[in-house]
Parts: sequence; structure tokens; C-alpha cells
Amino acid sequence: MDLDKYKKAWDNQPEETNKVSKVDIYKMAHSKSSSIVKWIFIIGILEFSFWLILNYFTSKSSYMEVYEKLNLTTFLKITYYIHYVVIITFLYIFYKNYSAISIMDGTKELLKKIFKIRRTVKLYVYYNLITFIILSIIVNVVIFSDSNKLKEIFKTGSINISDSSFFTIMLVTQIIFLIIFLGLFWLFYQLLYGILLKKLNKNYKELSKLEELN
Amino acid sequence: MNKELENKFLSDFETNQNIVHKVCRIYTTNQDAHNDLFQEITIQLWKNYSKFRGDAKFSTWMYRVALNTAISLYRKSTRTVKTQDITDYAFKIKAEDYDETEELQLKALYNAIRKLNDIDKALIFLYLENKAYKEISETLGISQVNARVKMNRAKDKLKKVLNPS
Repeated sequence: MDLDKYKKAWDNQPEETNKVSKVDIYKMAHSKSSSIVKWIFIIGILEFSFWLILNYFTSKSSYMEVYEKLNLTTFLKITYYIHYVVIITFLYIFYKNYSAISIMDGTKELLKKIFKIRRTVKLYVYYNLITFIILSIIVNVVIFSDSNKLKEIFKTGSINISDSSFFTIMLVTQIIFLIIFLGLFWLFYQLLYGILLKKLNKNYKELSKLEELN
Repeated sequence: MNKELENKFLSDFETNQNIVHKVCRIYTTNQDAHNDLFQEITIQLWKNYSKFRGDAKFSTWMYRVALNTAISLYRKSTRTVKTQDITDYAFKIKAEDYDETEELQLKALYNAIRKLNDIDKALIFLYLENKAYKEISETLGISQVNARVKMNRAKDKLKKVLNPS
């Protein structure tokens, strides 16, 4: 069987009767896009903002007093400056990747560029999570290395438990908190980008198949 | 953007809109989705019109933007349809000029194409529209050799759907 007769039917198919008028084309052309790229861009911006706001509030919160008592203020200030430089760099790369998107690229190239915007955001989130973990570890090491300070900061006089169980409770609470936090984050991302990029991943795989022929 | 350019865009689009309708027909299965994809393609065409320098034909440019939008930008799933009977919403055909056998063949063809994956849809569409392999490979961003191999496989798949046995 060949496709010739179908091809002929295709060639002879009449034009769409439901023609769109110039006025409607104009209206459509000026309406808001809901493309995947736009969604990735918006979500990316929200993620940048989320971490910025989180950083801002932690730097203003009473938590800083704790750091002060631990003599970590200067250390944290420097970390924050470095952090902001890194964020600006990320934003720049994110924007550059976003503006590199061109609908006139070949489909494969276009898909690659869309994945690239997404990758910037992913790295940004990893960067934040890793800094978060490293800072927690440093602070914890400082806290736990000086039991007097630890008690002074966290233990209220009224609670009567031994030092060792107090340590254990503190440590376990922190670890559980960290695991839950990371777990929720991971789940959120899998869902969010999983849904957005499922189709693109499938199409990219399809285009990349048989690439060894090139 | 100036008015003159906008008017040119509107009339070029109006004349060539059938290309976009065909793309919407193969990538969607109901009228709402058709209109939705049509709108997104229109937005992308207009947004990128200033970059269209006229060194290519308007229609050639339209093929690429329309397919890229359907494959990479359109948010709603254009997943392949598994069921046998798809409503033939898109066939508001002026039947008087059209041969009945061909009409049935055309419907069967559309239904079969809709069962292919997004990339095979594009390949078959470009074949039906008489595009050269050079243009097909550039549109999809793959080598010509690869485009040929993929095209043959897509055609085989299409034939199987059209004539299962």
C-alpha cells in the first residue's frame, strides 16, 4: 500500500470554511501567551523572589541575635554579600538564556534552549539548598562545640533535662526538620517541572533517536 | 511596531491561515483546543514578525513557527489519541466541490495522523505539504540523513494505522 491516494486527498482538501478575520487575528495576536516557555519564565522569577525574600527575612529576624552571641555576624555578612553576587549572576544567565529562545530555531535546538533556562533555575535552587545546608552545618558545629553557649541560647532554666539528652533532642529535631524540608522541596519540583516538561522531554527524545546516523 | 507592518502581517496571515488550521487539526482533537493552539501560534507569529525579514517566503516561515509552537510551546498536551473514532470537528468542508471518496480518505488520513507522536506528525505533515528534505531537516533541527530515516519510519507507522492487518 502506498500513500499516494491519501496524498491526493490531502492536496485536494478544501480550505477551512471557518476563516479567521483580520480583526480576530489582530485580537489574537495581542492576547497573552500561555506558552510553556512563559510559564517556565514566570516560575523561575517566582523562585528567585522566594529565595531573595527568605534571605531578607532571615537577615532581619531575631535569629541574628543568636548569631551575634556566637560571634558569627561578620561571617554571615560576608556570606550574604557573596550570596547576592551569585544571585545577580544567576539572574543574568537566566535572562540571557531566556532571550536566546527563538521560535525560528530548528525544533531540536529550540527544545535544547528551553531546557537550558530550566537548568539555570535548577542550579539556582541547588545552590540555595547547598548554601542552606552548609551554613546549617557550620552554625551547628559552632553551637555544639560550646555547650555553655548552647545552653545559654536555647535552654530555658525551667526545663530540667540532662545535657546529653538535650544535645540529642536538639540534633534530632534539626535533622528531622532538614529532611522534611528537603523532601517537600524535591516533591514540589518533581511535580511542577514534571508536568511542564513531560511533553518536551518526550519530543526531544524522539528527535534525538537515531542521532548516531549523523 | 508601525501600522504599515501590522497591516501587512494581518493580510499575509489572513491569506495563509490555512497552513495554521491544518497544523491545529493534526495536533488537536476538538474545536476548543484547535482555537487555543491557533491563538498561541498567532501570538508567536506576531511576536516574531519583526524578525521575519522577508528573505524567506511568509508561508515557509509560518510552517516553522506553527510547528515549533505545537511541538515545544503549546502547554496543553497534544498527546496522541488512542481511540478509533475521533469527532471530525475540523471538517467543515464545502462538500459540493469535493469528491466523496476523497473526503473519506481525508478523514481517515487526519484520524491516522492524530495517532502518531508529535514529531511523526510534523514529519508526515511536511511530507504531505511537499516540503524538500532540506527544509524538513532545518525545521526540525536534525540532519537530512536522520530526517529521511525518520520519515520512512513515520510513513510506515502511518500506513499501519491506515491499513491495519
